[in-house]
Order: sequence, then structure tokens, then C-alpha cells
Amino acid sequence: MGKGKGKKGHEMTLPLEGIRVADFTWVWAGPFCTLQLAHLGAEVIRIESAKRTCVTRLLPPFADGTPGPNRSGYFNQYNQGKRSLALDLKHPDAVGVAKDLVARCDVVCENFAAGVMDRMGLGYEALRQIKPDLIMIALSGYGATGPESQFVSYGPAQVPLSGMSSLTGYAGWPPMHVGISYGDPNGGMFGAAAVLAALLHRAATGEGQYIDLSQQETSVAVLAEGVLEQSLHGRQPPRDGNRDPHMAPHGVFRCAGEQRWVAIAVRDDAEWRRFATAIGRPALAEDPRYATLAARKRHEDELEALISEWTQPQPPEQVVATLQRERIPASLSMHSQDIAEDAHLAQSGFFVRLPHREVGTRLHLGIPWRMSDAECTVRRVAPCLGEHTDEVLRDVVGYGAERIAELRQRGVLT
Amino acid sequence: MARQALAGLRVVECGEMVAAAYASKLLADLGAEVIKIEPRGGDGSRRRGPFPGGQPHPERSGLYLYLNTNKRSVTLDLAQPRGRALLDRLVARADLFVHNLPPPVMDACGIAYDALAAHNPRLVMTSITPFGLSGPRRDWAATDLTLWNAGGIAYLNGSPEAPDLPPLAPFGRQAEYQGALSGTVASLGALFARLRSGRGQHVVVSIQESLAAMLELTFEYWPYQGLIPSRLGRKPIQPLDFLECRDGWIFICCVEEHQWQEFVRMIGSPEWAAIELFADRLSRGANWDALKIFLQEWASEQRVMDVYQAAQRRRIPFAPVSTMGDLLASDHLKARGFFAVLEPPGMPPVTVPGAPYKFSATPWAIRRPAPSLGQHTDEVLAEVGMSNDEIATLRAEQVI
Repeated sequence: MGKGKGKKGHEMTLPLEGIRVADFTWVWAGPFCTLQLAHLGAEVIRIESAKRTCVTRLLPPFADGTPGPNRSGYFNQYNQGKRSLALDLKHPDAVGVAKDLVARCDVVCENFAAGVMDRMGLGYEALRQIKPDLIMIALSGYGATGPESQFVSYGPAQVPLSGMSSLTGYAGWPPMHVGISYGDPNGGMFGAAAVLAALLHRAATGEGQYIDLSQQETSVAVLAEGVLEQSLHGRQPPRDGNRDPHMAPHGVFRCAGEQRWVAIAVRDDAEWRRFATAIGRPALAEDPRYATLAARKRHEDELEALISEWTQPQPPEQVVATLQRERIPASLSMHSQDIAEDAHLAQSGFFVRLPHREVGTRLHLGIPWRMSDAECTVRRVAPCLGEHTDEVLRDVVGYGAERIAELRQRGVLT
Repeated sequence: MARQALAGLRVVECGEMVAAAYASKLLADLGAEVIKIEPRGGDGSRRRGPFPGGQPHPERSGLYLYLNTNKRSVTLDLAQPRGRALLDRLVARADLFVHNLPPPVMDACGIAYDALAAHNPRLVMTSITPFGLSGPRRDWAATDLTLWNAGGIAYLNGSPEAPDLPPLAPFGRQAEYQGALSGTVASLGALFARLRSGRGQHVVVSIQESLAAMLELTFEYWPYQGLIPSRLGRKPIQPLDFLECRDGWIFICCVEEHQWQEFVRMIGSPEWAAIELFADRLSRGANWDALKIFLQEWASEQRVMDVYQAAQRRRIPFAPVSTMGDLLASDHLKARGFFAVLEPPGMPPVTVPGAPYKFSATPWAIRRPAPSLGQHTDEVLAEVGMSNDEIATLRAEQVI
């Protein structure tokens, strides 16, 4: 495990080594938050139940197309690094077990609808009686308070709710989605940052606290330019496809091959001149239709047409190489296979290949940062449901074998 | 006021536009002391706007004002050796140095962890980069759009009705915001590690990887089933789509059977809803083209908020396609006190997103507005021991 030597020969530790998280989260937002804590070396224990199997365990892609709660690529990606304790929280004896676990944890994460944890007797006020310096974060769609706090929130609906759809779409088209339930991982990242800030505060003062995170609010936080435009000018930026008011050309262009596209952005007039040369049309550099940003914006349709004419016959790699040689931003629009087979990502250590007891060794994606004095790597695969029930109850909570057997016999540990 | 979570944390920030600035804003808004280093011409976000009256002005750019609350501004020319030396002095007193200078610029300015940590072994340095600091793409030019596409998310977005239209990116520099968030999480992790180890370290964030890490259920289709998801796929389950109402758009979402059945009752159980083709969610997915026609016709008579409220009362997870105006008018967001108002000098007050989270003991707060360009140069340089004469000389020679 992560105990290699750093550059100066010190023994490296993981940043959150010794921090333990009671993870009541499900679906994507909450697990994405606790995944970051696991990436940083925290011990993350998922509390889940076969009676209410986490949605992502039941969604495809399944290994080789065969469904099963331990065969889901979605679950297995976002729950790497965590352990699983099977606990039926609706069983009257379960809450006591949960509290015994929380007593030995530093952090509690949950993303149930507002009020659910309170009604189970696991709200912050109850839990802080057990662990006064507990840090608890509740991620919810609408936040813990407010007239809409009881509304039902689904990941895909967060994107339009947040305003992102209203601002996104091809020019002249209706509001569109963004390809993923973006509000979930975005909220999860804000959640992880909040937990870490709270841990630092606790380290300085001994004080824990409760964090109320609304996914809607974290989404709006990163749409500030839209809010600003509305606030200052009483209107919002119109949907304009991949275009940008301050850069032209700025778009995604077709290349040779089946659905192969390259994203290209030219940031200023000097870059435009290099671009004109790179595409073999040096005269365009000073062409009054294109020499300045304002001119390029006025003639953007023709500009994009001439660029497409250049890109379409070429393989995308060639387009990208030509432009990158001139230090012009360009990238393939990558898909799953492109990512999986990418030499740069492989070299940088982004991929995870660990054996999973049910699906074998599958390629997963790892941690998007590297640290020079910590070996942050994904150290374990996602857990099978309830895989660690016994070891957690024995080694973390301190129950004896008889107690565990009794709980199991009473149907608490499913 | 209550102590803030990151009180006492000293941060130096350097770079341009969103990634480093937003990372350090997150820290500053939670109490960290942030020194923002800008080139003499100012951060590019000062030229981005939006501006009051549409008139560009470096002290009135909405994006700059939002991203740089709670910070102090120092101007430095890092390309000059003496400017670079000043960075050393500032970083020597910092807990965290966060930047998003492209790797070739780092090299050109001699900004490297070993050099900076030599003055300060407790320093955490976080480099938010397009593709990391090693590998074939290390020095590639990149923007938000190219990174969003490199991360794989764009390929998933568009419309099956328009295969000749390109993969579509979302509004608003989301790749940069995700780089900022990864940078913040990893930086705070490294600072927490330092409590035990006493040592700093170099944290390197790849924006491409940050995005690829959030491909929902799509990436794993390749390793698990040998399939490549794209924007041209048909959604297996419906309804999960946009409908136009009289006064805007609604996003309808009936992922579970009981939600669909409840919705059908809500709209008065019309005959078309009982058609066999629409009997279950997979069948509705397969026949969405037909079903959508009926639903769109119904929706065109409705008002967004009526549908939203009615659906939510029945626990159906519909959402309005909120406009910016809707958000600013939202009773819910008002009740939560979400928006904040900035009052920069010389311009009307402007509303911005406020706290992205509510801490019970250590609240988020705007303690000071975004700084004017170089507003704190003299004050900060005096703090690191420079005399007025030295400062004047540096200014005359355009180092600061």
C-alpha cells in the first residue's frame, strides 16, 4: 500500500490516511464526492442494502452484457477504493449499528433527499451527540432548506434546472443537454472541497460541522457568466453552438472517417496568422474578411466552411498535428475507445487495472492529479455489495462474531 | 464573525482566466489570504466581460469581478529575472502556490517546484495543466473547447437528428472550472498531508483527466461491452427530454414506471397514453418519435411552472429549463440567500452566484471585493521587506 519513498527518501503517506468516512451516498453525486476522498487515501465505507440496491449497480454497461449488481461498469468506476457494508437501514436494529460505525468515523456523507437521514435518526444533531467533532455533508438536489427542498431531483434534470441547458445548444436550436448529468460530478467535487476545508478547520480547532450542499447551487456557481450577463444587461447569452464571442474560429470540424471531429480554437489575431499559414492559405492572414476578430465573427459561417473544407479530407490526427506544430489549440473529439487506447493517458498513469472478483480485470479511469510526496493511486476495486460487512463490523466497529451472526440472523445485514 | 475554515492559509495565485483563479477563489471565499499575481496588462478575464453598457473596462469585467473576490492583486512581469525573483519571495511565505500557466510558459519563466520549494520546503505547489507535466501532449496548446473534446464529454452531446452537426460543448468554460475543482481538492489534500508530514509537495492536475473522470456510465461501455457511446445513440428509456410550453421549456423525466403512470394521471389519462406502444419505458424509448408528438402537443398548451409544480407535487422529477431570469427570480434560491451582490466602484451593483455550500460553523463570505489591477503591489512587497525606493525602482523599470 502507499508507503513508497518520496524523492527525498521520506516515507510517503497518503493525504487522508487515517481519516474514515461513513458513506451513505448513492447514484452519482454523493459517490463522486466520496470517490475523491478515497483517491486521497481516506478509508471510505459504503453503507448499502440489497433491499434498495444502488441504482448504478442496476444500470448498464454490464460486464459482457450480463446484468448483476456487481457487474456494473458505472458502479465499478465511481466506487473504486471503497468498502461495502450491507445494512438495511429500514430495519429497527440497523440505526444502532450505523451509529456505532459513525462513532468511529471522521466524516459522514449522504445524498438522500432532504430530511431522510433525520427521519432515520441519523441527522447531524443526532450524530454529533455520538461524535462531537463529526464533519457531515449532505448533498441534495435543491439543498436542505427552502420551498423546493422537498422536490425530487434526478441527475439528468439538474442540467436544465441549473440554467445550463438554456445556455447550451446549436444556434437556432432549442435548449439542449450537455451529454452527461454534469450537476452530479460537479456537485461531488464541490462537496469534496468542502469536506477537506472542514477537515483543515477541525485540525486547527477541534471543531466539526455540518455542510449543506445544493447541487443546483453548485451548478449555478459555474454558470456565472450567464448570471452576470442577465444581471448587467437583462438578457442572457444566446445559444451559439461551439462558438465564442471572443475567439474565432472556435468550433469542432469534421475530418475523414466515421464521426471523426477535431476541436479548434484560435485565440487572437497573431494566432490567426499562424493558422492561415498552417492550413496553407497564408493570404487569409491579412484578408480583410478575416484579419481581425471582429471581421472573423462577421464572416464566421464562411470561415467555418473554409476550415471544414481543409479538415474534411484529412485524418483527425493529421489536422491536430499540423495545428499543434504551430502551437494552435486543437484536439481530437475523443470517444471511449480513443480514451482507453490513448498512449499519453497510459504513460501518465491514469488507467487502473485491478482484478475484481466477479468481472475480472477491467480498464477503469483513475485519479486526475499526481502528487510528488504521495502515491495517490486507486488501491482497490469497487466492492461487491456487502463484501466487507464482517470485516468492518469486526475491525472497525468492534463487534464480536456472535453479535455479527445475530444481526445477520435478524436480517439487519442485507 | 465566525472563524472561516481556511483562516490563516496563505495562497499565491498566478495564471489566467478561470482555472487557477477559481481554485483560489474557492479558498479565498473560505478565509484564505490570496495574493493574485497579474501581468502588468492584467489577467485576461479583465477583458472578457460582460461589462456594464457593453463598454470594456479592466476594472468592470463581470467575470474578473466574480472570480477574484477576497484577493489582493500584485502586478509582476514574470518574464524578467527580477520579477521572477519577486515570485520567489512571495512564494517563500506561502502555504500554497496555485497556477495555470501552460507548461511551456512555466519552463520559459523558470517556474518549477524544486526551485520554489528550495526556499520553502513546506510549500504545496499546484499546477493545473491541460495534459499534465509529462507525456507527448505536455506542451500542447489548449483551450476550454479543445480540452472538453479531449476529455470525451463533447462526443456524447448533440442530436441523433443531426449527425452532420458537430459534438457540442456546454456554455461557460466548464473544462476550466473542473480543472479548478480538481486543483482545489488535491491542494487541500496536500495541505492536510502536510499537517502530519511537515512537508509540501508538487500537485499536478490534468484537466483532460479531470473531465474523462466524469463520463458517467459511458466510458465503461468500451471495456465492459466493447461499445462506443456517442451523441447519435437513442436513449433507451423515455420520457427524458425537453418539451416547449407556452412560456418556456420543461424537462420531463419519467425514468421509473410509476412516475410515468402518475404523469399520465396528472394529465387526465388521455387515450393516446394507453397505446400499447407506450406501455413500458423501453417501448416508450423505442417509439419516442411518436410519443413525443403527443406530449409536445399537450405541453404547448401548458405553462412551465404549472407543469413543474404539479409534477413535483406528485413526486415526478420534472425540472424547468431555467433561464438566467428564472434563477434570479427563484423564490427557492432567494429563500436560501444564494445570490450575492457585488458593488464595484464606478458601476451598478451586479448579482453573482454566492456560496456553493453552507457550512454550519465556518461560513463562506465575501470580505473584500475583487482587487483593482496591482492594487496591493506596494503593500505586499513591503510585507516581504522591500523598501519604498526598491519598489519605486522596480516600477520605473516595469518589473511590477
